[in-house]
Parts: sequence; C-alpha cells; structure tokens
Amino acid sequence: MSVKLAGDLQSGNVVIVEGNPLVVLKAQYNKSGRNAAVVKLRMKNLLTGRVSETVVKADEKMEQIILDKKECTYSYSAPPVHVFVDGDYNQYEIDAETMADVEKYLMPEMTDVVEVTFYESKPISVVFPKVIIREVEYTEPVTRGDTSGKITKAAVLKHSKYELQVSAFVEIGDKIEIDTETGEFRRRC
Amino acid sequence: MADRWDIFCRVIDNYGDIGVCWRLARQLHYELGIRVRLWVDRLEVLTHLCPQVQMNQGCQQVDGIEICQWESCSEETLTARVVIEAFACEIPSCYQRSLLSLHESEPNPPVVWINLEYLSAEDWVSECHGLATPGSSTSLRKYFFFPGFTTETGGLLKEAGLREQVRRYQQEFTSQVSQATPELWARLVGKSGDNPLPESHEMPGELRVSLFCYLNPLIPQLLDYWSSRSAPTSLFVTQGLATNQVAEWCGHPLKAGDRLQIGALELLILPFLPPPAYDELLWSCDFNFVRGEDSFVRAQWANRPLIWQIYPQEDSAHHKKLEAFLSLYLRGICNLEAVSEFWRLWNHIPPDRSWAHASGIEDAWEKLLHFRQEWNRHSQEWADRLDRKGNLANNLQMFVRKIREETSRS
Repeated sequence: MSVKLAGDLQSGNVVIVEGNPLVVLKAQYNKSGRNAAVVKLRMKNLLTGRVSETVVKADEKMEQIILDKKECTYSYSAPPVHVFVDGDYNQYEIDAETMADVEKYLMPEMTDVVEVTFYESKPISVVFPKVIIREVEYTEPVTRGDTSGKITKAAVLKHSKYELQVSAFVEIGDKIEIDTETGEFRRRC
Repeated sequence: MADRWDIFCRVIDNYGDIGVCWRLARQLHYELGIRVRLWVDRLEVLTHLCPQVQMNQGCQQVDGIEICQWESCSEETLTARVVIEAFACEIPSCYQRSLLSLHESEPNPPVVWINLEYLSAEDWVSECHGLATPGSSTSLRKYFFFPGFTTETGGLLKEAGLREQVRRYQQEFTSQVSQATPELWARLVGKSGDNPLPESHEMPGELRVSLFCYLNPLIPQLLDYWSSRSAPTSLFVTQGLATNQVAEWCGHPLKAGDRLQIGALELLILPFLPPPAYDELLWSCDFNFVRGEDSFVRAQWANRPLIWQIYPQEDSAHHKKLEAFLSLYLRGICNLEAVSEFWRLWNHIPPDRSWAHASGIEDAWEKLLHFRQEWNRHSQEWADRLDRKGNLANNLQMFVRKIREETSRS
C-alpha cells in the first residue's frame, strides 16, 4: 500500500476508503479563487460494485493499493464490456463504466499498449500511455490570422465523439498528440 | 432543547471570512432559533464588525452568540452535533477526536460536520455541493457545502426582511435627492464635533459612488477622470487600502471624516463601517465598488450596479471565477460588454478578443454610464432572481435535516 494525494489520483487508481477498495472511475480536479483545490471522485466499490461520488481536498492523503498489472492491447468491444488481450493471447473483459474516463481514446486497430490492472485476479481498469496520437475528424477551418497557436477551437476525434480544444491551425485529418491524464491537446504531429 | 451548532473560522486576512461567519451565526440564532458558538482565531478582526467583543476573554456571550477564541478549544470542550468549519479551516484535532467519540457513542441525533466553502458561480460548484468527503476508517463524514447563485448550490446569506428593508430605504432616500449626500455622510461618520454636518448642496446629475477595494493601480486614473468631468461625482471612500491610494493621489494624508472638493470630485472619507452602516452606504450609492466575498454579496442585495474586485491569486485562479460570475450575472441584459469590459479592466484581466475593448478606464466608465438605467433595472431583477433561490442559513438547516434523516435510515 502507498499514499497518494487526492489531486494526483487518476482513473484506474484503486484506493482504500473506510476499509473498502474503490477504483477511481473519474477524477475531476477543481480550483478557483480562494477555494481549496478539490477533486470530485466517481468511484466503484470493487467488493460490492456500488458506484458513489465524493469530493475531497486535493491535498488529502489517500491509501492507494498497488495491484497486479499487465500490458495489453485493445481487441474489440462487446457492450457493456471492452476486451483486451495480453502477450499470451489471454482475453480480459473490462466494464465500460470502469473506463468512463478513457473510453474516448478507444479506436479500432488501436496499437497503443495499455496497462490493465487486476484486483484479486479480476481486471478492473485500464491506463493509457501518457501521450497518444489520434486523428482529427472534424474541426472548423482556420480563421485567417489566427496562427499564433494561442487561440484554440474545438475538434472532434476520429472514431470518437470526444471533443477537445486544439490550436487554431489544426485541420481535419491532422494527427495530434493528446495527454491522456488531462485529456488535453499537446501538439500537432 | 434548541439545536446547538459550532462554527469555526480562521481569519486569513481582511474581514470577509469572519464577516460571513458572523452574519451566518446571527441569522442561525435569530431566525432559526439555533444556539451558536463561534470559534475565531483572531478576535481583534471581529471587534471591527462587532465592537462589543472583549479582547481579553476566552469565551463570551455577545448579541446572543457565544464567541470563543480558537485557543480556548481543548479536550474538555463539549462538542456540538452540528459543526461548520468555514472555508476549509480544519477544526482543532482535540475537537475532531471528541466529535468522533460523540458520533460513535451517541449516534442520535447524528453528528453533521460541514465544510462551508467560498462562494463561486462556476459550474463545478453545483456538481460538488453537498457531497461527502469520506473519513479514513469511520463513518463520520464531512460534507462540502458551497454557497452559490443557483438552486443547485447553498445560496447566499440574506436576513429575513432584508429586501423589504432595502426597498423602503431606497424609496425614502431617493425622495430627498438634494440633501441625500450630506445627510448620508453625516450619518456614516457621526455627528460629533469633529465631523460637523456639511452644508446642504444641490448638484444636478451628481453620481454617488462607494469605493471599497484592494490596492488597484487604476484608482488614480479614475480619480483624475472624475475630478475633470463636468458632472459631479461624490466618492465615499471606505477605510482601508483604497484610502491610502486616494491620499497619495491627493498629496496629503486623509482621515475618516475628511471631505474634500477636487474639481468635480467630492471625496468623502469614511471610518470603518460596521455591517449595518455599510449596507446603508451600498443602498444609497449609484455605483458600488466592492471586493472579496462579503461586500460583494451585500452589494448584490442593494439593487444597484456593482463593480467587483475579486480576491487576486498568484496563479490567476480568480480569473475563471470572475468570468463564471459575469456570465451568470449578465445573462439577459443588453450592452453586457460595457460591464464585463469594466470589470475585466478593474481586475487586470486581459480583454476578450471577441469585442472591441475600451482604450482606458475613463472610456470604460463612460460606456457604463450610457446604460445606467438598464443596469439599474437589471440590478433589481438580479436580486429578485437570487431571492427566489432561498438563503444560505435556511439551506444549511435543511441540509442538516436531510443528512440526519439519511443517516438515521442507513
């Protein structure tokens, strides 16, 4: 067991809360003005399956369980699960709900190697590499003069409904780098 | 037996934190019949808001509220069953232990522990409002309670009868325009020999403005401008950082009770005003410059245009907070650019590219004046809108009931 600050928690992390193992489904960091930075956590109890929401101060210490992990690749989806395969062709089904934060990065023939986490031999979460590359399916045309890179606009990823803010110069068909921890655009490839 | 609540407040700086807690304590006591104990770490700050407070007492009863110095809290302190830690201040560990022990040994009625946060109009606030933060190994949870401007949040502090009080005051005040400024000034500074009642004056087109703000480099520019306009401006300067800046601009020291005419600008220097007197100032002025949280909320109940200086943060975390409020506040109002433009300038926030911004604070002020009537109307409507969302003290009481019911059922 190790200690992690609530502000550093990510989807897929497992923490012990009131004696129960809870996997983080979604972690939303919020800070404004004089308010203490807080993290809204959507978590699933690995023993009961019950999903709950809570809010904690970002500097709160949480007990994290380090679980078994395996490198896998995405195979296919069969709602409500997504199927991943390890190097020995073992298949693992993961609830789509558990992947709520990262489901948007899934795509057919995806080559990214992800990390599947197991709790008592059951696959419970998926962590993507820190940076992934995806194609832009739609974005508004570049506005004349907005080439500084400081102005942003919305773009939708191919194979996904995920919309994120990208630099104004990004065009349809461009490949872009995305930070999977923040969900934000990094740069055009 | 009346319910008993403890409120803990650490004063970070200024008067906002304790101002909110003091108002809340009084409202809980007077309107909802709750016995309130207010714990504060810097009693001297509270004495400004409530002069009856004695500095040398660990615990004292003032105006129906038990006020205790933070250091007086010990292992022997009996805990209340409803505890509010204001603005994430972390209640003393000895008190936490007692609270936990009470929660485990006498679960009925359930203990409710609330973290009352700062006010914000941001969307995430409604998503986090009312959620519990889990305890490490016990079932005693702390609930986040966020004040706010929508029904999904905890609402704003507002005493019963406040709206009616403001309405009556403003009807009376506007019926005696020619005497209004000198009489208001005399009332606020006192009628002692040092501060004689100024002679009556009649200044058509006069604007009354109150100024309560943090240090702001735009103050001298605004004073230059007001003094050079043809129409008169009466500026009520509240005691604090702004007074020093105004004195620098004048070139000589200023003290409470001073009244100077510089060109078209009449400067009226006020002493520290206790909350009721400050309210009266806000209700009387045509424009109110306010800051922080407490004066910001009071200005919204004043039915008058306000200009907010948000508490500045090094990482500019306050910018988003200000924009969130602007977007909510200006919904349904025309010429909103003039307000947002002035507010952004006043808060040193870079202008939005989507609108052509003013060349300076003078230009921005002129734009505000152009639609003063509409903004006046909007200020009234905004307060009406807020009024329909309940108020913080009542919402807190309802929240405590809900948590108790849920806890008892589970």
